[in-house]
Amino acid sequence: MNEELRYRGRIAQVGIYLKKLIRMFVYQNDWKMLPMAALIGGVVTFAVGGSLFHTQEGTLSGCFALVCVCIWNGFFNSIQSVCRERPVIKREHRSGMHITSYIAAHMIYQMILCALETVIVLFICGQAGIAFPAEGVITRFFIVDFGISMFLITYAADMMSLAISSLVRNTTTAMTVMPFMLIFQLIFSGGLVLLEGPAAKLKSITAAKWGLQNLCALSDYNNQPMVTLWNTIWKFRAMEIDGQYPIKMMTDYIAANNMRDQLLQESGQYNMNPEYVREAANILHCWGMLLLIIVLFAVLSVILLEFIDRDKR
Amino acid sequence: MSWFRIATWFFTSLGIWGILKKYDKATWQAWIPGLRYYRMGQACGREQDGFNCLVLEIVSRILTTVANFIPQEGNVYNALGLLALVLVIMLLVFEIRVAAGLCQSFELKKRWIVLWVFSSSIAAMILGFLKRFQPVHLLARMDEEQLAGTQPAVLSAPVAAETIGEGLSVHVKERTARDFGKTRYLLKDIHLNIPNGSLVLLLGGSGAGKTTLVNAITGYEKADAKILLNGTDVYENYNEVKYRIGFVPQQDLLRMNDTVSKTLNDAALLRLPVNVSAKERQERIDAVMDVLGLSGRQDGLVAKKSGGQKKRISIGTELISDPDLFILDEPDSGLDGVIARELFEKLRSIADSGKVVITITHTPDRVADLFDKVIVLARDSGKVGRLAFYGSPDEAREFFGKPSMEQIVLSVNSKNEGGEGRADEFIEKYARSTAEKEVTVHE
Repeated sequence: MNEELRYRGRIAQVGIYLKKLIRMFVYQNDWKMLPMAALIGGVVTFAVGGSLFHTQEGTLSGCFALVCVCIWNGFFNSIQSVCRERPVIKREHRSGMHITSYIAAHMIYQMILCALETVIVLFICGQAGIAFPAEGVITRFFIVDFGISMFLITYAADMMSLAISSLVRNTTTAMTVMPFMLIFQLIFSGGLVLLEGPAAKLKSITAAKWGLQNLCALSDYNNQPMVTLWNTIWKFRAMEIDGQYPIKMMTDYIAANNMRDQLLQESGQYNMNPEYVREAANILHCWGMLLLIIVLFAVLSVILLEFIDRDKR
Repeated sequence: MSWFRIATWFFTSLGIWGILKKYDKATWQAWIPGLRYYRMGQACGREQDGFNCLVLEIVSRILTTVANFIPQEGNVYNALGLLALVLVIMLLVFEIRVAAGLCQSFELKKRWIVLWVFSSSIAAMILGFLKRFQPVHLLARMDEEQLAGTQPAVLSAPVAAETIGEGLSVHVKERTARDFGKTRYLLKDIHLNIPNGSLVLLLGGSGAGKTTLVNAITGYEKADAKILLNGTDVYENYNEVKYRIGFVPQQDLLRMNDTVSKTLNDAALLRLPVNVSAKERQERIDAVMDVLGLSGRQDGLVAKKSGGQKKRISIGTELISDPDLFILDEPDSGLDGVIARELFEKLRSIADSGKVVITITHTPDRVADLFDKVIVLARDSGKVGRLAFYGSPDEAREFFGKPSMEQIVLSVNSKNEGGEGRADEFIEKYARSTAEKEVTVHE
């Protein structure tokens, strides 16, 4: 009898839910994510920003810290967003809501949120006096390439937590699972510990690994000086051998002849990482992997929520 | 295996043998690891935990066997070891939960769990062989699906009334659920026709199948049934009919941090057809707000509204699509008498506009005069939800010989729930009365 009646399809419903999420941003205090992003960005920049882009060690630790900031922001953006309203979603699904529309609205909303957070963190970095290189690899400007990379890392982490939020039944479980996911990401990024064997293969599935590779490659890690060797040698200046101080003599000679920078640059050449090569293909590969993670976890969120009607009352 | 471990295993199994005997379960299962926890779990109302024990025990045995064929120095062996450790911790947790169920069943203090954990052999021997420890049945404390029996009582079925073209026709043959390989019957033989314009009260004790019936009618959880709404088969045309059914759950499932007007507007966008213009949509929203007494209260967040207003907003989100069938699960829970009465009067007016309105409530007598029909569900002696009565409130009082709806519920509730335990009697009586009516009609 009502065969001619048509109801709002997927695209129209995306608009309904997107507007709803924007209202939640205002009324449900989701806006607090933005000052939080500024705060954590500021703390990290203060701690590791000084030697970023200057030395291999500073670049690695700085990029790792920025990856941590991105993953932290991404995870917190949406870890509770679905599970906190799961019974409401179930009710609306029974009334005609499309799960694909709901997740698509979340994807658009979270994309805006992640972009804003990236801009805020970059702004904080700039205010903290970090001098970004000028020339980019994909675009003309380094800051644009770096911003796109940070956005993709944040967004990939965001989509992972959206999938977790779609899987678990309540916010308590979500907040219990989140630290494990965070630790997994950070350990398997390859920035903290040297991974070998099966663990090294496992890191390819983390956003942190591709994010770190992306930022280090953009920062031209391989062509930067390495200071660890010089600093280590410096510690042995007081070493006495047969009444003489050969290490002190050597370091004094290097310093007196202005060869220190050359040594640091040379030692950097021996510490290259093939994953961090500054080439467009490498950067695009990292972006592609991050996009793949985003798509996979968004699809997973849809699949998980399609079973919401099976939730026990 | 050391002698100590053999002795522990023997005495634990022997003790569980005694426990299973006290529960009238097959005692040989006490000697099979995993299975014995499953059986004990079943007996003490912790079936899911017992089942988890069984699965974990099987998986850990498989892992142990596999580990014997793998070199002891290697990543795979280490990974298996880690997995085995996780499984053992999980197994311990579920065994503790079964032990907690045993304590509840034997009416013991929780400290017995500690004894079970540290020396299951001693605990099992005490519970299994000392006569002063006897289990009590915990079935009355289980939820609806666990309560459902596997064998319905042999009772007459009410004669299926002829299907009507208008209104709601319900013909539930049975609604079953699979539970650990067993078929549990949640509902059986429920046949009724509700004309349009009826406000219907759905009554029944805990576990009688009220929510199951509602879910079967709405198509949320399909039964072996034929449900017709104004002549349209709900199951066959679910994607179309779901927009004509409004279901208001017991809890106010709303986004508390959204405004009232936007909540209703979004509900209208979702539930109304696309050919409804913005003007018509707004008129519909205004009409619903007017009917529910929400006019002038559309500003502000849902969270800031009172309990009664939240309930009305929840009703409004379903009413917005002008559904033909409107079902409310305890709409008056948490509301005081006056507000509840007002709410039911509004439901009465919705029914009067030609809709079928079905409500579940646990305090029916304060609003009993507003209803056209009463459905009484009862759990038969086989623990299956059946139809004990369908008719007007006055007919219900006469049929059960009780002056109030609450006393009607008590009459069909089981004795261990504080009722009279007369469910089978009334189910049979109602089935006979429908048969007699049918004969009279044909004569």
